[in-house]
Amino acid sequence: MENLDAARLQMAFTLIFHIVFACIGMVMPFFMVVSHYKWLKTRDQVYLTLTKSWQKGVAIFFVTGAVSGTALSFELGLLWPEFMKHAGPIIGMPFSLEGAAFFVEAIALGFYLYGWGKLPERFHWITGIIIGLSGVASGILVVAANGWMNAPTGFEYVDGKFLNIDPVQAMLNPAWFTQALHMTLAAFTATGFAVAGVHAYQVYRKRKVELHKKAFKIAITFGAIAAILQPISGDISAKDIAERQPVKLAAMEAHYDTKKGAPLYIGGIVDTEKQVVKYKIAIPRMLSFLAFSDFEAEVKGLNDFPEDEWPNVAMVHYAFQIMVGIGTLLLFAGILYFISLKKKKWFASHKYWLLFVLLAPMGFIALEAGWIVTEVGRQPWIIHKIMKTKDAVTPMPGIVFSFYTYIVVYFTLSFAVTWLMLRQIKVLNNSNH
Amino acid sequence: MLYVVLFFLIFSLYLYVVLGGADYGAGIVELFSSEENQKITKKTIYRVMGPVWEANHIWIIILIVILWIAFPVYYNIMVVSLHIPLTIILLGVTLRGVAFVFRHYDAIIDNSQKLYDNMFKISSLITPIFLGMVFGALISGEIRLVDDISSLTFYEAFVQPWFNVFSILVGLFFAALCAFLSSVLLIGESKEGNENIYIRKSAIATIIVFVVGLLTFGYGYIVKNVFVQEFMKNPITIISIVLSAFLLFPLWKTIKKGNTVWSRFFAGLQVFLILSAVLISHYPDIIITQTGSVSLIENIAPDSVINVLGISLIIGGTVILPGLFHLLKSFKMIKILER
Repeated sequence: MENLDAARLQMAFTLIFHIVFACIGMVMPFFMVVSHYKWLKTRDQVYLTLTKSWQKGVAIFFVTGAVSGTALSFELGLLWPEFMKHAGPIIGMPFSLEGAAFFVEAIALGFYLYGWGKLPERFHWITGIIIGLSGVASGILVVAANGWMNAPTGFEYVDGKFLNIDPVQAMLNPAWFTQALHMTLAAFTATGFAVAGVHAYQVYRKRKVELHKKAFKIAITFGAIAAILQPISGDISAKDIAERQPVKLAAMEAHYDTKKGAPLYIGGIVDTEKQVVKYKIAIPRMLSFLAFSDFEAEVKGLNDFPEDEWPNVAMVHYAFQIMVGIGTLLLFAGILYFISLKKKKWFASHKYWLLFVLLAPMGFIALEAGWIVTEVGRQPWIIHKIMKTKDAVTPMPGIVFSFYTYIVVYFTLSFAVTWLMLRQIKVLNNSNH
Repeated sequence: MLYVVLFFLIFSLYLYVVLGGADYGAGIVELFSSEENQKITKKTIYRVMGPVWEANHIWIIILIVILWIAFPVYYNIMVVSLHIPLTIILLGVTLRGVAFVFRHYDAIIDNSQKLYDNMFKISSLITPIFLGMVFGALISGEIRLVDDISSLTFYEAFVQPWFNVFSILVGLFFAALCAFLSSVLLIGESKEGNENIYIRKSAIATIIVFVVGLLTFGYGYIVKNVFVQEFMKNPITIISIVLSAFLLFPLWKTIKKGNTVWSRFFAGLQVFLILSAVLISHYPDIIITQTGSVSLIENIAPDSVINVLGISLIIGGTVILPGLFHLLKSFKMIKILER
């Protein structure tokens, strides 16, 4: 394996894991404080049991998210030293603010976890809110740094040198808002459906039904609202990409030839040799409309760009299809949940709970697919139109060994975390409330 | 603004060495304890470190982020030449953090605790050794700076800079320092009757720090290490080190009297003096290579970056430091109330 490929795989692999840990660590505190709030209001023991159980989840995911995040902050430099040498100072601002937000989160978590019965109740609850808010702030700031790679601004690039650096402008790059909005909603959708799914399974198996139903409702409410809002954010993102990264958009749709009134392809198999998509459903003029709000607008095809600036078209196309497909599915599931609040007898149905069990991993699959679209879609650039990924990689050979080590460690970690969660649920089911 | 950034860089380094160091040391102390004492130590560590251990380790992230933003050239040399030890540190930090949480948050207490304990103890020892080795490598004079790194062999470019006697000695020295800090800290935190365990540990750790420190300098002197030579010539560093050694007397006195506040202060001050001596002796040329030194100050990011970073750090600091102080304070106060 080439060094570049090994480095890219290692980066992709660690990010794929980190995103799951980080999203859960970022969103679960909100479920926890809602349950905590209900405990303070109603003094119903079930909510206390649930809060304490979720808090353990938060602690475990916070730490796994934090350590895998620490690993990433090193890996950026270890794998891409050339990139960090130039980009580090430019995108340092969101990272330093993220460091601060993360610190606040760790302090608030210290108060929250160890504050039961020691801190005033209201203050204790507020520290829980701070965990959630600073987590979301961290997420947004990191995504802003990623946005800069897609939409590099805040410097002048003259003869291979980065001059007149403006870190504030770099942080507030044109992509930060669309990406941060899309990712925050995605995190809430994915975590909401995942946590709801776990509790739905317990209801399905008729264990501690009252408790798990309450847990389900809290989690799914967040997930459903986010899933319903997500298409709006998706639309903003698509229009933004059409404007800034036409190659990425073309790859997402496997759109080879420039066309006015371009159709939208749903599904299909990409034949990169013949440059066609087989077995797809084509909606006439829809791509033009979605990208430019005009059914007749011209959408640039891949062939308008040099081939060495194309990403892996098939991979980007499939990932995009998976993301949009699952997004749509979760949108309907979200609506279904709100309808079920009116039709109480659905709650008695076995199939209702089974449905949400099956939906549990879907949000995360869509979220990962979305990041594959963003990251693979940006290739071959590490900084869009400025620096190629192959020019940024470390000169140290043998990265493949470090890649294998990471695979072993991260798989063990995920296995361990899953196992710990199962044990938490087991103990929760045997508790008195 | 550069000095604000430098202040936060050095401030984070000090805090990481003292707080993070005590944290690593706790695992080392546990590793070198008898089975019965291990149980006591584990409980004490949880009580002491529990609320703050995450915060202790964020200092290294702040450190890294400041380095890459403000001192990109310096950072670049580190991540290229010291790729291997930094990766090992990362794995150590990961496994240690995870093990700490697992052993305290696993809902069921069974045999898997043994695995978490071992993971925690071993990574607590290995991580600071490699941290020290990285620092040692930077001042060892073994790093090679060339225009085309492919002209060097793998060993010359990526192994020799850190895998040498001097760096390894610095690594061991740092681990010993961690154990020293932690044992002094644990004296005040142990339940009655257990203080003697940690008093004995602090005595052993002190001796190890002293011996390894002497070995490091002796070796550096014999092989004519640039850093050690300059260290010996500088009066400020000599005074700091001698003062640090003399502080052992008040330290022992306060430990014997059971005055934990002062004993911690003295132990912290000793480490502060040692670290200051090291930093001062070669400042601002913090990297010493085979061909010369790399100045921290001369290779900085543009002013606009430094200014924005300085402002971010001041804002971040005003939010974080009172919060952190409050966190440390409230849990200490609660402990006093509990007694």
